[in-house]
Amino acid sequence: MKSLVFFLEEPSAKAMLNGLLPRLHPMGWQFRYVVFEGKQDLEKQLPLKLRIWRLPGCKFVVLRDKDSGDCVTIRKGLVEKCSKAGKPDALVRIAIHELESWYLGDLAAVEAGLGMSNLARKQGSRKFREPDALSNPA
Amino acid sequence: MKIDSIGLKNFKAFKDTKMLDIPHFCVLVGANGSGKSTLFQVFAFLKEALASNVRTALIKLGGSMGFREVRSRNSKGNIEIEVKFRERSNAPLVTYFLSIGEKNGDPFVEREILKYRRGSSGQPWHFLNFSNGKGTAVTNELDEVTDVNELKREEQKLKAKDILAVKGLAQFERFPAVMALGNLIENWHVSDFHINRARPEQEAGYAEHLSREGENLSLVTEFLYNRHRDIFNTILLKLSERVPGIANVKAKTTEEGRVLLRFKDGAFEDPFLARYVSDGTIKMFAYLLLLYDPNPHPLLCVEEPENQLYPKLLWELAEEFRAYATRGGQVFVSTHSPDFLNAVELDEVFWLVKEDGYTKIKRARDDGQLKAFMGAGDKMGYLWKQGFFEGVDPL
Repeated sequence: MKSLVFFLEEPSAKAMLNGLLPRLHPMGWQFRYVVFEGKQDLEKQLPLKLRIWRLPGCKFVVLRDKDSGDCVTIRKGLVEKCSKAGKPDALVRIAIHELESWYLGDLAAVEAGLGMSNLARKQGSRKFREPDALSNPA
Repeated sequence: MKIDSIGLKNFKAFKDTKMLDIPHFCVLVGANGSGKSTLFQVFAFLKEALASNVRTALIKLGGSMGFREVRSRNSKGNIEIEVKFRERSNAPLVTYFLSIGEKNGDPFVEREILKYRRGSSGQPWHFLNFSNGKGTAVTNELDEVTDVNELKREEQKLKAKDILAVKGLAQFERFPAVMALGNLIENWHVSDFHINRARPEQEAGYAEHLSREGENLSLVTEFLYNRHRDIFNTILLKLSERVPGIANVKAKTTEEGRVLLRFKDGAFEDPFLARYVSDGTIKMFAYLLLLYDPNPHPLLCVEEPENQLYPKLLWELAEEFRAYATRGGQVFVSTHSPDFLNAVELDEVFWLVKEDGYTKIKRARDDGQLKAFMGAGDKMGYLWKQGFFEGVDPL
């Protein structure tokens, strides 16, 4: 079976993907998650994990928050690590500013999921029209 | 003594499970309810069956339903336990096999075998061979026989079918092989230390070994202080090495003859009493008492030692367990702690998963990926946390 392997910096990323991915109906793909303890841990341990990876038929995705860093620099660093580890085709994606921002793009869904009210209305306000601009979405 | 393998059939969640080539220091991980404690219950069950009988042991394990509760769900067969072990590293491999059945609500020992294999080939010799309360036992000393024809067998009948022949015969010196096995099982120890049970100072009494939950801690302390002062001093030295900030530990006898432990913190002039010391320090002290027992247990099972201990201490604790195993005992530890696991080697780790309601035991070294990561300098605890133990969601 083909596997899509996600390298993540925290358990909340796994929780999100676990909820999302099965709904995309990817036929014949299995999902695996390697969850690190924060972004430093991910940066440190990723090369070894990629280099020593044995399971055949895997595609890799590395997901990291931008936080206060520079998106281009962070991405470049990770892409380089993947290449050096012999996995140049690994997909590197940076969440801006962090994973939580993604939720803010669909407040109606957050409202429904958490059973809150009056949240979806705020989507039109300036703050939530562009979640990427929020430096502290959590 | 060292247990080499364990085979279980229809024992609670272990419907048909084998654990082979078990190391001296054996660490079990798995989610809650995966069967780690059940494995320890096998040892407790055999010990209880030896002390009383199979019926009582089943009731202690499964409540009033006894046999029916202990037997795996939807299973029809007997409960079977097979333990292979060596008394010393150069001693022959011994197999003890037990098959327990049930008839009209009464559990009985359908088969009980104790056999030794001399060398790597040939038929094993049956030193004990019983079924339904009747059978034979060998009266030769183990080391004396070199030929199967020299074995002298004696017919025996047990007074009930739920009694182990090992129990019935272990008290007679003329069955040395059986006696040796009896002694071994009797001295197996399961430790499930509870700090709140151990804290109160017990009323006057006497205890040589730390109990399962540790409530006799103060009595064992007293015993070691009075009777084995050198070991006691070793333990105190170890403790001050292991616990940061503890500069010295001294014992003091009260007028009533009780032993008070006084811990001296490097930062303070006056030592303070054990009852004011942190849970972690007490726990480390208790494990040291257990591990430096003057009469060590041949088999020590420890449930989740990580509770209350400072993460850094877990590394040291793992080393103490391994040292105990190197000195000749065998240690089984169940844990959820990545910090503890980080101190453990590839060869030492087994993990338990439930598949279709029954427990399967897997071994880290048999997993190519885990082996490859460990070979490249990774650590078991990290790999556990990162989800590389197939089938288990860690923590």
